[in-house]
Amino acid sequence: MHITVEFYGVLRQVMGVQSVGLELFNNTVHEALERLCQQQPQLSIHLPRIACAVDDEIVSHEYLVPDGATLALIPPVSGGDT
Amino acid sequence: MKHLRSEPLDLAALLDETGNPASGALVVFGGTVRNENQGRTVSGIDYTAHASLAEKTLAEIEQDTLRRFDIQQCRIVHRTGDLSLQEFSVLVVVRAAHRAEAFDAARHAIDTLKQRTPIWKQERYIDGDSRYLEGVPILNPQQRPE
Repeated sequence: MHITVEFYGVLRQVMGVQSVGLELFNNTVHEALERLCQQQPQLSIHLPRIACAVDDEIVSHEYLVPDGATLALIPPVSGGDT
Repeated sequence: MKHLRSEPLDLAALLDETGNPASGALVVFGGTVRNENQGRTVSGIDYTAHASLAEKTLAEIEQDTLRRFDIQQCRIVHRTGDLSLQEFSVLVVVRAAHRAEAFDAARHAIDTLKQRTPIWKQERYIDGDSRYLEGVPILNPQQRPE
């Protein structure tokens, strides 16, 4: 199955693109992140602080991403102190 | 109701929109671009967002704030795009019968926005350099404290 992964914030700078296509076998967010890190190792250091979203919902790493869906990678937000 | 704006924020329009004869208190929080951060001289900030998730989140924060506090209005608007010094990046407008709740609600709204809203700041400096600012990891709804 094929999904689109969108990058936001600093991840766009890290990846050099706004989005990529990704082929998955067992459809989980976990697999998507693993495959991305294999292809783009510079993403690995950011993973522990990334949230994932599908259809405007924050989802867990066990979430099954539907075929054709867009997975958004959300780095830490709204930077700046109070 | 649109919460993200690509044009300069209009405080007068928000005041008109939220006007309520039952309100005795109005609190406005405005975030503006500051000229210095961590010892570096700032020339501006570029704000980007996951637009649909940010719209949804800001609407939720408005409704959550209305539920938690004895207030009559809570409106939040956030700018995206390249901002210059002193431009408004965000406006929070709260109206209530009394000031104590209005102040508390406005603080809650902006503090929650900064923890939950998928908006990012890339700071630009007068030496031509720029960097994304450190932020707060978004939690799954199950992880959020009540």
